[in-house]
Amino acid sequence: MTSTHCPYCALQCAMSLGPVPDAVPAPASHLAVGGGPGMPDGAGETAAAAMAANSAAAAEDRPRGVLAEATIPGGPARVVVHGRDFPTNKGGLCQKGWTSASVLGAGDRLTTPLVRGADGELRAASWDDALDLIAERATTIAAEHGQDAVAVFGGGGLTNEKAYALGKFARTVLRTANIDYNGRFCMASAAAGANRAFGLDRGLPFPLADLGGAQAVILLGSNLAETMPPALQHLAGARERGGLIVVDPRRSATATLTADGAGVHLQPVPGTDLVVLLALLHVVWAEGLSDAGYLESRTTGADAVRRSVAAWWPERAEQVCGIDAGELRRVARLLAAASPAGGGSGAYILTGRGVEQSTQGTATVTAAINLALALGLPGRVGSGYGAVTGQGNGQGGREHGQKADQLPGYRKIDDPAAREHVARVWGVDPASIPGPGLPAVELLRRLAAPAGAGTPAGPRMLFVHGSNLVVSAPNSTRVTANLQALDFLVVCDFVPSETALLADVILPVTQWAEEEGTMTSLEGRVIRRRKALAAPPGVRSELDIFADLAARLGSPVHFGTDPAKVFDELARASAGGPADYSGLSHARLDAESEPGLFWPCPAPPAQPARPDQALAQDRPAISGQADQAALHPGTPRTFLDSFPTPDGRARMIAVDHVGPSDDLRPDAPLYLITGRVLQHYQSGAQTRRVSELAAAQPGPFVEIHPVLALTLGIDEGAPVRLATARGAIVAGARLTTAVRPDTVFMPFHWSGPGSVNRITTDATDPISGMPEFKLCAVDVSLAGAVVPARDADRISAPAPSTRSDTLEVPR
Amino acid sequence: MNTTSDRPPRTRIVVVGNGMVGSRFVDDLLSRDGAGPGPDARFEITVLGAEAYEPYNRVLLSEVVAGKVEVASLALPALVHPRARVHRGMAAVRIDRAARAVHVEDGAAHGYDVLVLATGSSARIPAITGLIVAPDAPAAPSLPGASAGTTGTAAPVLPGWTAALPRGVHALRTLDDAREIVAACVNARRAVVIGAGVLGLEAACGLARRGLEVTVIHGGPSLMDRQLDADAGAVAAATLTALGVAQRLAARTTEILVTDGLVTGLLLTQPDGEHHLPVDLLVLTCGTVPEARIAADAGLPVDRGIVVDDSLCSPGDPRIFAIGDCAQPREGGTGLIAQGWDQSRRLADHLTASAARAAAESGAGRVRLGGAQLNPGRPSMALRLSMNVITRAPGAAGGGADPGAAADLGPAVAPAQQTPAQLPPAQPAPEAPRGTDVVRLKAAGLDVVTMGVCGARRVPDSSHRTVRLSDPAAGRHVEVVVAGGFVIGATCVGAPQIGADLTAAYTRRTPVPADPAYLLLQPVASATTTASDPTHMPDRTTVCRCNSVTKAGIVESWRGGARSVAEVAKATRATTGCGGCKDVVCGLVDWLAATDPAQEEDAPAETREVAAGNLTGARGPL
Repeated sequence: MTSTHCPYCALQCAMSLGPVPDAVPAPASHLAVGGGPGMPDGAGETAAAAMAANSAAAAEDRPRGVLAEATIPGGPARVVVHGRDFPTNKGGLCQKGWTSASVLGAGDRLTTPLVRGADGELRAASWDDALDLIAERATTIAAEHGQDAVAVFGGGGLTNEKAYALGKFARTVLRTANIDYNGRFCMASAAAGANRAFGLDRGLPFPLADLGGAQAVILLGSNLAETMPPALQHLAGARERGGLIVVDPRRSATATLTADGAGVHLQPVPGTDLVVLLALLHVVWAEGLSDAGYLESRTTGADAVRRSVAAWWPERAEQVCGIDAGELRRVARLLAAASPAGGGSGAYILTGRGVEQSTQGTATVTAAINLALALGLPGRVGSGYGAVTGQGNGQGGREHGQKADQLPGYRKIDDPAAREHVARVWGVDPASIPGPGLPAVELLRRLAAPAGAGTPAGPRMLFVHGSNLVVSAPNSTRVTANLQALDFLVVCDFVPSETALLADVILPVTQWAEEEGTMTSLEGRVIRRRKALAAPPGVRSELDIFADLAARLGSPVHFGTDPAKVFDELARASAGGPADYSGLSHARLDAESEPGLFWPCPAPPAQPARPDQALAQDRPAISGQADQAALHPGTPRTFLDSFPTPDGRARMIAVDHVGPSDDLRPDAPLYLITGRVLQHYQSGAQTRRVSELAAAQPGPFVEIHPVLALTLGIDEGAPVRLATARGAIVAGARLTTAVRPDTVFMPFHWSGPGSVNRITTDATDPISGMPEFKLCAVDVSLAGAVVPARDADRISAPAPSTRSDTLEVPR
Repeated sequence: MNTTSDRPPRTRIVVVGNGMVGSRFVDDLLSRDGAGPGPDARFEITVLGAEAYEPYNRVLLSEVVAGKVEVASLALPALVHPRARVHRGMAAVRIDRAARAVHVEDGAAHGYDVLVLATGSSARIPAITGLIVAPDAPAAPSLPGASAGTTGTAAPVLPGWTAALPRGVHALRTLDDAREIVAACVNARRAVVIGAGVLGLEAACGLARRGLEVTVIHGGPSLMDRQLDADAGAVAAATLTALGVAQRLAARTTEILVTDGLVTGLLLTQPDGEHHLPVDLLVLTCGTVPEARIAADAGLPVDRGIVVDDSLCSPGDPRIFAIGDCAQPREGGTGLIAQGWDQSRRLADHLTASAARAAAESGAGRVRLGGAQLNPGRPSMALRLSMNVITRAPGAAGGGADPGAAADLGPAVAPAQQTPAQLPPAQPAPEAPRGTDVVRLKAAGLDVVTMGVCGARRVPDSSHRTVRLSDPAAGRHVEVVVAGGFVIGATCVGAPQIGADLTAAYTRRTPVPADPAYLLLQPVASATTTASDPTHMPDRTTVCRCNSVTKAGIVESWRGGARSVAEVAKATRATTGCGGCKDVVCGLVDWLAATDPAQEEDAPAETREVAAGNLTGARGPL
């Protein structure tokens, strides 16, 4: 049995992977949708017996050992997934987790490098040939077009070690400024908002389990019930107290949890979540519900924010966001009553992608933080603001230097002290580290672009790691064309994703259960990913690839291949930064009785992890055997004493509603919103390869309100054509009252003619650079119907927005 | 052109009025202007505000009366900007158009290249015997906007009315008014509100909320008769009665009774005769009068308000604009803040675009303004964008400018020197206002929303389809009007969420069915019914969402031998995610145990135990 964590989302559910006991026959298809015959008697006896025996045990001793297994081709054995007790998932797993072992046995697993030949076909190649080719092309393209012509696109699913090594590889070997990652698609606005308000961005600045004691929890733009199902256990307390508030234009699975007195579902017009927040703030102040003492002692800027929301009384907000003013008042009072100042047991304000993937995402996060501060929540045990990080290592992935503007430890790349520190760890000249590069959407937009007025030519070669841009990038048709226009595309993946299939070279890499490393969960908890089985022959870790390529490219910089040692280097590089890991090591994480440790976790002061010393000699090992008293215990809850801002106070910043970049107009009179289904993760490159998940959700669909369907003449299951300024797609209709009659919803996990990101907008938030995935204007019609005026080419482009009347003050 | 000395002179803009619209306009304009001090910073602004206060939210004054909000929360953003000067408590008294200057009461003059009038409106004081007392009456509170009495032709406003009302009588237009009413509530028992429009009903409900006996007197045949027809008004009246507000409809107040300068009662005439009402506190909410005197004195066209064209420019002077309640655009003033803020945004867009274009073309920074005709037929997104929208570059389509009306407003060049050949290209028309006529009552317990085609005064149109649901006993009356696939009007009393939904459809012009019934029946019937009885639960109902397990799947696992929640979990994985479905699975197992003839032994007690033991208070999603 190997203790590890689920490969998918940032909840990182704890699980164990082990071989299937010899006595257990392979189960039939009893887990197919709709159920099936029960497991044969005696099957999975250990696990099933454990579960049955547990019936009266404590809640955290959840049933475990429900079998899900995969036969690994050429591998040692079939493996079985067990849920494992952990503070976050308490033994529970969702369908993705239970079936996660299947990806290990994916039928089209890549096990050899593939190189595109002169005839355009991908063919198997040796590692030497593939890496030589990459090195040769990188050298040539950099020589001809400059080092920034070679770009890197990383992923929030990479381990901390890989993310760190990737950033180091880009900055020291390729010497390119152009490295960014798909976290720009999911976490950038929350990060920008938290950084400027609190001085620190840790998705949840408190353990997830803290939610359990809250009297009220408000979720904005988060469909936790489908994206992180086991996390719902922590909402049970708020639901019992009638305090679960879900703000979502769709009656999502999460929104239905508010029924029967468990809470309130606010269903705003898409793109107006910010208005909801401004109205809640208005009520909090107008009715004297704010925490005046907290505002006085722990914040700055409250007066300007208070004045800015004076213009958002509930009846006005109602006319913009479509929510009855009385409901807005009720929710504001409910939150205030739950807050410490209101005598409640605590309140949490949580945001997700639904409000963050917006051109006013940073403003919306800022408003959510302002509301939390007005109620006196952040930095108090039992209350707070948090962003629900999405990708598996979406938290750690943004801390270790694969972001265009950052160096390891969440340091700013334009900070001379940060460059100096990291350069010493890397053994390079600080001046040799490039400056900030292009953020993700801009990077993709400029791929292969010729030089224009005032802009240099775009990158001509791209490395892609852990990202399936063809499906997951906004306005993906253009992204695909740009990828095809590159001189050279290298993709590291373990399955032939849609993006990999465009590459000139595909390198097959290890996946979760085949590698050691660390992940940082949505709580900022650093946890261990462990190797449960050997990778198939022919597969290498990215750490090996970086070391090999560095050598082939003649770099003197050292790249470790042992994840534990890479982590130690990462820890040194992070020392003194906001995300300080210097007190952590694989050994300590393995030995701790606590499950994982929360950053910041600096090295003991007696043993300062000064980079020069650290280079000169191996840092004294910090392990479970070391003196526990000397070790930093980690930081489960931040901000308890002060905020890491210059004056120790949280900054309140006035923001105002601007509206979406691609808003309704006569030829695009409806809103298109996008999201997820429980069975699939991100671009679906992994989950679409799990037969059970693919059977449960085989393809894209469009949710349409019956009244809208009636208006448009669309029946259940009919093919629906969606046209935006960027193109048109077709998918089948699902009629449901869960969506507003002015809105259609589509999940984005698929490629092909129903791939919704082909028509989403790539307009970005001016502060965070995050694209507006969630919302655009669309024309909806029955596919095949002759409606000449609705040709895709005639959908007008939204007028360019100057965003000039935002009150925001970018720092 | 990039040295400081070459910087073109900035356009001087004087804004008269520092209220909700004037202050918003300054904010809108500066947010569109360059950060400065470079050449892209094109405007210098002077604000002249008659009130001594910082700008505040006048819309919420009735909430202050009701005691629902703190006065401090009315404060709007204070203007702090290097290129703006704000003079508070400084009323403008005269416009010298020839010299392009505004004179203020202390004698100073402020020169302008562009003048924006945002003087607002004042409370309309009806001509009722006894209402006006001598100007020197003791302790008489001053009435803001008293000078408006000379304006216009509205007969009920007393010409020559000066400055005072009896004690105990208040308008509700300013922060001082609201404070005085609140103070008066301490010693008053019987309050009367004259005028049952939006503000009157809000004030009446607010006073009732403070425990006063409240009567509202209204000349019209029903409440809010500008927005509500008789049936809707009757439903609102019943709700109002339940809130403790008595009503006198079709009533004319004939005399205010004053003793020693203090109001004591009033006489009114109704169809059934004369009545006397004792009064401790009288609130006048009889509408407003645009503050247009300064424009009229300057010879600008003034009708009810300051006449402006579709670019908000006075036809009498291309340098002078009017926005907010003081303005009278072609579609008429509504008195709603939405209209004023929409005008503010449009004018800021217009001035910014004109300045940018002029600078780009001539390099001289001249601002050419006026004359660009907005196309009122074009649908506007103004309201749905919250009256505070981002500037969007107008599309290629749009109305053309009228060259003859355009003028060069650069500081150095007189309008007459401008020839048509030098004019900028036709300016695309900004969007005309639409959807800024949504009326929403703010009164706890009485929800009224109206928009577009509504009320008794509408013109019948056979192309309109109208459906109403009237349910007076429940205090609910809903009506929606659809034409051409859009909501063009609605009336909602006692149905706030339907009102909010229809507002969204109306302001955004989203497509709706030709049959309006769907818009009302769907929400009314939308109370979701959940199948708690397993017998009636459809087989395809998802029981465990985390693991895609349907009711059919659980039944199948039962038939395959699973006899407890644990065994069902083993076979289907139901309950192994968030655990929220455990109650439902338990119920299904019990149901199967009780109803499935195929099963031989019963174990409901055990399944109960499993469910209770493994579930920490989570509720089932169904």
